[in-house]
Amino acid sequence: MSENTIGKKSLEWVDSRFPVVDLFERHLSKYYSPSNINVWYLFGFLLLIVLVMQILTGLWLMMNYTNTAEGAFSSIEYIMRDVDYGWLIRYMHAGGASAFFALIYLHMFRGMMYGSYQKPRELIWVGGWFVYVLLCAEGFTGYVLPWGQMSFWAAQVIISLVGSIPYFGEDLAIWIRGDYIVSGITLSRLFAFHVVLLPILIIAVVFFHILALHEIGSNNPDGIDVKKHTDQDGVPLDAKPFFPYDITHDFYALGVFLLIFCTVIFFFPEGGGYIIEYVNYEPANPLSTPAHIVPSWYYTPFYAMLRAIDFPLFGLTAKFLGFVVMAAGIAIFAALPWLDRSPVKSIKYKGIYSKAFLTGFVISFFVLAYLGSVPPTETKNMLAKVFTFIYFAYFLLMPIYTKLEECKPVPERVGDPA
Amino acid sequence: MECDNFKSDVSDKASLQRGLSTYMNYCYGCHSLKYSRYKRVAEDLLIPLEMYENNLIYDGSKIGELMEISLTKEDAINWLGAYPPDLTLEARLRRPDWIYTYLRNYYPDSSRPYGVNNRVYQNVNMPHVLEDMQNNLSESQYDQVIYDLTNFMTYVADPSAEQRKRIGTYVLLFLVIFTSFAFMTYKEFKKDLK
Repeated sequence: MSENTIGKKSLEWVDSRFPVVDLFERHLSKYYSPSNINVWYLFGFLLLIVLVMQILTGLWLMMNYTNTAEGAFSSIEYIMRDVDYGWLIRYMHAGGASAFFALIYLHMFRGMMYGSYQKPRELIWVGGWFVYVLLCAEGFTGYVLPWGQMSFWAAQVIISLVGSIPYFGEDLAIWIRGDYIVSGITLSRLFAFHVVLLPILIIAVVFFHILALHEIGSNNPDGIDVKKHTDQDGVPLDAKPFFPYDITHDFYALGVFLLIFCTVIFFFPEGGGYIIEYVNYEPANPLSTPAHIVPSWYYTPFYAMLRAIDFPLFGLTAKFLGFVVMAAGIAIFAALPWLDRSPVKSIKYKGIYSKAFLTGFVISFFVLAYLGSVPPTETKNMLAKVFTFIYFAYFLLMPIYTKLEECKPVPERVGDPA
Repeated sequence: MECDNFKSDVSDKASLQRGLSTYMNYCYGCHSLKYSRYKRVAEDLLIPLEMYENNLIYDGSKIGELMEISLTKEDAINWLGAYPPDLTLEARLRRPDWIYTYLRNYYPDSSRPYGVNNRVYQNVNMPHVLEDMQNNLSESQYDQVIYDLTNFMTYVADPSAEQRKRIGTYVLLFLVIFTSFAFMTYKEFKKDLK
């Protein structure tokens, strides 16, 4: 044991000044997670890894990026050609954005499936939802920075939505752009948001999200309260310490994730036009509008909702109503904890209505994602209306159908027969 | 019209060199490659720098400079009616299939100023620069010239592609090993739990 003395003494020295041992135990070695959690519980860890990757690659991109209308486009090509491994850093960052959204959608769906938003985890859910909203803003601002045709026109379309707000919308849009059209002024302010404001907020809210989680602990696929049954030391019986049992599982998941991620960024970095749009290889040109303006794939469900509302109502323009519906489609996730009146958490024990509506939600999400990525036709617009309706029905009818349906009894402990 | 299928092979350096030579002699007068550098192209295509400098730089630029042209916007608009776009990224923007098909689909049309039109890009402003070549070569020879040219443009749009795939292979090999060990560690710890 003598060889450990220096290490031990240093640890004691630090520990009496900063609670490292306590933090390690509270958040890792004595932080318990339910023994029945499954693959759906791996995405949180992966999201954290992707967040770190985006911050690091973003930092390196920023060292060589020029945030002016004159220099932005060619600085990207400078990164791609003249900076050592600049292409790798940029593909990691661009692919990382898509991975971020893919993972966050899976992570959110897990919560919806197993009722993880229910009491007492409302704030964890709302915090996570806020991260998602911030991420949407981060994705949008980042998308504008290469200053290609799609960057420019996506910015033009999105900011013009603000202009549809009655009375002060136009003034607000000018205030946001800092100009009458999207210009270099807009670019440099979106750059400031993208690299300073939004990342700080994202890190802060993620910190809050994890802190809140570690106070309550993870939910599980059965929605069983594992803290109810403990041994004489207060350790939950149906749980295991995060360290080393979950962390080893997480690292295995990380390997699988990186295999997929690296296959994409090294061999299909443009993702068939879904990660980097082909149109964006043409520099921004305010005088020439591209034939089809499409947002990134991760916004397309909401873009489809925006386009689905093509009729004015109560003296409000179709554009403004579409904007409201689109924003509501994102905002409504935050209300889930209060919309769900079911006595059980997990979809496993909920009744037939919950299962049907959740299925409807998933289908409508995918159909809208498709519809938002293709040019509109009459039939497609009709479909978009129907699926927007189903999407919202999942949320808005939830207080009713979760009350009406018959639920199965939740087992008392993990492994008990239902 | 549907584009013909084009399968690039950027490892075929001879093809890229022929494509570069066609580009520099027929296209570069009007179409810059301003995001690319002479030196990078010379090195990637295995052309000795001195040979490159003596034969493929016409305006006294240094070999480390960007491949910009001397045609000014004003002159171009006076002479041609439009400023010919930079083509560094054309293969990423329009895709190689498009370029390959476009350059092989000019046809005579007396209603157009240069007497030619294009099946892929209707009423295009660009004259058929390779007309003489097309008339003097057999169809398959001309197709080969366009293949090489398109292949070069595919390379110049994404010069790191070869390096990327080479590194990517090693990265994936490493990840297979990493994931195997991570999996075994996970399994080993899982044994503790019941």
